Amino acid sequence: MIGFLMNSWVARVIPIGLVLLAIQTTLLVELRPFGVSVQIVLAFAAATGAVGGVERGAVVGFAMGLMYDLAVGTPLGATAVTMALAGYVAGVGRLFRIESHWWILALQSAIGAAVGEAMVPVVRLFIGEAAVSGTGLVTVVVVVAVAAMVCSPVLAPLGRWSLSLQQTEMKLPPEIRSEV
Amino acid sequence: MPLYSAGRRRVIIALALTSALLLTLDLRGNRLFDAARSGFSVALEPFQQAAEVASAPVERLWRAYSDFDALEEENLALRAQVDAQRSAEIAAQNAIIENQDLLALNSLESLASYDSVTARLVGQSPTNFDQQVEIDRGSIHGIRVGMPAVNEAGLVGKVTRVAPTSSVIMLVTDPSYAVQVKIVSIGGEQPDQVVPGFTTTTVEEPEETFPGSDQGAVREEFLISTSTSTSLPDETAVETPEVEVIRETGVLRGQGDERLPRVSFVAGNSAFGRIEVGDTVFTAGGSTSLAPPSIPVGRVANVITRAGTAGQELEISLSPELGRLQFVRIVLYQPPTELQQ
Repeated sequence: MIGFLMNSWVARVIPIGLVLLAIQTTLLVELRPFGVSVQIVLAFAAATGAVGGVERGAVVGFAMGLMYDLAVGTPLGATAVTMALAGYVAGVGRLFRIESHWWILALQSAIGAAVGEAMVPVVRLFIGEAAVSGTGLVTVVVVVAVAAMVCSPVLAPLGRWSLSLQQTEMKLPPEIRSEV
Repeated sequence: MPLYSAGRRRVIIALALTSALLLTLDLRGNRLFDAARSGFSVALEPFQQAAEVASAPVERLWRAYSDFDALEEENLALRAQVDAQRSAEIAAQNAIIENQDLLALNSLESLASYDSVTARLVGQSPTNFDQQVEIDRGSIHGIRVGMPAVNEAGLVGKVTRVAPTSSVIMLVTDPSYAVQVKIVSIGGEQPDQVVPGFTTTTVEEPEETFPGSDQGAVREEFLISTSTSTSLPDETAVETPEVEVIRETGVLRGQGDERLPRVSFVAGNSAFGRIEVGDTVFTAGGSTSLAPPSIPVGRVANVITRAGTAGQELEISLSPELGRLQFVRIVLYQPPTELQQ
């Protein structure tokens, strides 16, 4: 059992999560571009979804969200569900692409992070934390998405390593590539 | 591979159900989850300390870049404000001491009745939707969940989570925060004349915008001028205007970072119409209140009249600048509502 856990993705994701949470709760509460806190943990969940696909993205996002809830004190499960959604949405793009260019992964990460962050006030409303301010939500979502896109070239390989995935070697045939 | 396969659906349903279960258990209060949070914060602490050390130069660089202009401008404004307030401070200190003596003499509850712990802010909320800060004092210093946090200017928030050496404070602006308050208004004609033998204080409120401030809000600068007459009272010559003090109680709720907190009244009252912009707001105290009485909260910034029987709402400009907190004082007063938990 212990051997299985040590060799599974859990053993890699938890330390990565701790390091990212430490960065999130120290450096990124000070560095606030446009007054918005960049969500590095969410960006990692989205990047993992982009490289790992829908299920892996959702599960890793859920695990990262649980750690986030434990660290920050938000209701347990509230951030987990939004990060799972971010990983899921980012992973959907994997169903439609063949080559994993870095910019495609960055785009997928940005979309996943944007959806995940936009869902935070929605989930809070569902659990009774009413009157979450809607003003400025667009700025928050855009900044978080752009930050996830910028961090993707670092976070995507980290996500790939955490899931023990090899970079896909599937390429478009040359004749199709030339047409594209 | 299809977008909706059976396996994929199972994963999504399992995660959604787990979230719902966890949320339900956590929101109802669960000791196991509280213990897990405490354990996780202990495990995270070494990582945070390492990250703090590693990121300190970057933080300093960022602050130097982003805050310089605003700080320079604020420094000039604060110097002017300090000069203006220096004279008022002496009179205010005297009044506070007299007030505390009178309260103690009559065995009345006040903020001075409670011990307090001074704490330094060590972190802010990493989310974009919560108004919380972390301080470097915790349960081993006597801090408990529910205790009010104040600073020199007034009410800051309440303690919502306590670890052995750190705590989390929910700020007054958080949408989940609510506290009973009283609005103290001097009705009738304001005493703008100098009453012989007494100190009178007049407050002017010019608005000044501080670019670069976190909340982008308009900051009020109070220029207080104090004058004292030492002439002997002459009852036949001076007519002191009749001053009526109006006290209204209501519930103050946070509205998020970008909007002012609002006070909605519990019940209708004929005196509503007399509450005006600039009236002062204090905590109300009482057996169910989250804070002891008479902690300054702020001033009425707007009076909103709602249609029908909805009554009035007040927007409150808070006394403390929550975006620039450095130290807070935790009043070791545990509200009765929190004692059961």
